[in-house]
Amino acid sequence: MTNKIMKWVSWSVFLAFLAVYPKLFGIYYTNVFVTFAIFALYAVTLNLLLGYTGLLSFGHAMFFGAGGYGTALVLTHMKGVSLSMALMTGFLSAVGLALILCPIMVRVSGTAFAMLHLAFGQLMYVLSLKLRSITGGEDGIGGFPIPSFTIPGIVFVNMKAPENFYYFAIAVLGASIWMLWFFTKTPFGSIQVGVRDNAMRIDYLGFKVPQTKAVVYIVAGGFAGVAGSISAMFHNLVSADGALHILNSFVPVMMTMIGGIGSFFGPIWGAAIFQVIEELTSRYTQRVELVVGLILILVIMFTPMGFVGILRSIKQKWTTYKIRRKS
Amino acid sequence: MDPTTAMYVAQGIHGLAYGMVLFLVASGLTMIFGMMGILNLAHASFFMLSAYFCYQFLSITGNFWAALLLAPVATAFFGVLLERFLLRKIHAFGHVGELILTVGVSLVILAGVKIFWGTESLPVKVPPILHGLVTIKGLDYPIYRLFVIGLALVVLAIMALLLYKTRLGKIVRAGVSDADMVNALGINMPLVFMFVFGVGTWLAGVAGVAIAPILTVFPGLADQMGMDAFIVVVTGGFGSLKGAFIVSLIFGELSAYGVQFFSQLAPVLMFLFMAIVLIIKPMGLFGERE
Repeated sequence: MTNKIMKWVSWSVFLAFLAVYPKLFGIYYTNVFVTFAIFALYAVTLNLLLGYTGLLSFGHAMFFGAGGYGTALVLTHMKGVSLSMALMTGFLSAVGLALILCPIMVRVSGTAFAMLHLAFGQLMYVLSLKLRSITGGEDGIGGFPIPSFTIPGIVFVNMKAPENFYYFAIAVLGASIWMLWFFTKTPFGSIQVGVRDNAMRIDYLGFKVPQTKAVVYIVAGGFAGVAGSISAMFHNLVSADGALHILNSFVPVMMTMIGGIGSFFGPIWGAAIFQVIEELTSRYTQRVELVVGLILILVIMFTPMGFVGILRSIKQKWTTYKIRRKS
Repeated sequence: MDPTTAMYVAQGIHGLAYGMVLFLVASGLTMIFGMMGILNLAHASFFMLSAYFCYQFLSITGNFWAALLLAPVATAFFGVLLERFLLRKIHAFGHVGELILTVGVSLVILAGVKIFWGTESLPVKVPPILHGLVTIKGLDYPIYRLFVIGLALVVLAIMALLLYKTRLGKIVRAGVSDADMVNALGINMPLVFMFVFGVGTWLAGVAGVAIAPILTVFPGLADQMGMDAFIVVVTGGFGSLKGAFIVSLIFGELSAYGVQFFSQLAPVLMFLFMAIVLIIKPMGLFGERE
């Protein structure tokens, strides 16, 4: 009973904190928080593949990019597109890309899966650089209008104000993460974990392994597209180097590893830690690669389960300590 | 010979030289994979590191041949260190850990190279004997490219002798098919792994020195070569030297003629080739294992 009350209290405190955040910390940190939230969703979708289904992708940026380019293109070329339409376009273009790729991707796993994604991700990157008339090449697509959030006659919110965009972005990204959390808790989510642990046994139990992988793949791709779409609207720019570059594929992998693989909230912790590290390193040094590389090596060598792993082992030690003191 | 044919032949030679260098990089990659099941994402970084070592040795000694001998050995030394002190410790954690560790190493190498040598591209001069053109049957060939092709063939011959004519080669080939069994027979497999990793990075190092005078030395070198080498390994089949050789040559020619005929979409051609192969054979042309 008290647990339930605690839960409600902590959730409402958290929501209240989110609501007053822009007032408390000002414009700069509001934007930092939006960036964090975008990457949190992005990393959670990668963890859906990596942590829950055991598929390591080195080309996740192509879904992020598909979402971004989808939204940017529809906002540039069509008039009178509403905000939700733009968001849906981003989501659907990423889903479309996943649908095209999944017949090939579900047949492989392990290193082949990682390498195929590396190659296809790179293909998208090269294409976006070369098809200048559509994607704008290196400059990308920028300066498109951001529609306002309107319910005719009732609400009119101008999205050009960073504070308003903050609420919109947090709502969309938070809702997406919440939906994904439920997705992992469904019976389907358990089959997913089963595929990771022993695909053959899941096959014998009568579940369809390739189809399961395909659904997870499409969901993960689609929500990565949502993250990309919000990112494109947030920066009012989508470019090959910003969205589709290979480093953008590595970033969510790093966040997931730092935060903790195989835990739903690990990637969110990872995104937060990563954001703090990036904030600090870019302030004091130019060598972001060096810091990121060293952190990756250290995490893998010493805490392969990441930040959540450290938290868990501390908790375990604490409980054994308490039990020992009692006896 | 009329100029058009001459141009085609010259492009063919360029493609062959690039394909050979590509094979040197890809063979190390595919060998390490076949033996240890590790896909070394830092492989191309070692290739780049060797090019920088070559530049450094050249500016100290002024002798290209000394650089050609020493730079790959120095690179292999770093490769052995990576295997011994990092990769071996996390082997139990599985492939994901190894992939991510090697990504971390490649980022550190990239940063290190930028710290020591800066970001501008550095020229590497070849000795006068490799400079200029040679005329065969009325056609001009750049000597250096022919030298690169010859060098790759010599290295390939040494590797083939080592693999098929020595006891060590026998152990390595047995290790590719079942490392645990060979270990159980009383052979120190960790040592063999270390050796294979060293040889693989040495091959990448030789390629790095060979490419340095052609492309100059700059921090983007690893990205450019690494992606091509990965595509070769994926398309040829993981762990297959034969596949790597054939696909390297195809890609060398594809990029050489691709630039000539549709320069805009030349980089896409390789990906397209890979996609077609993988749709028909998901394990690659000659691959049998994942």
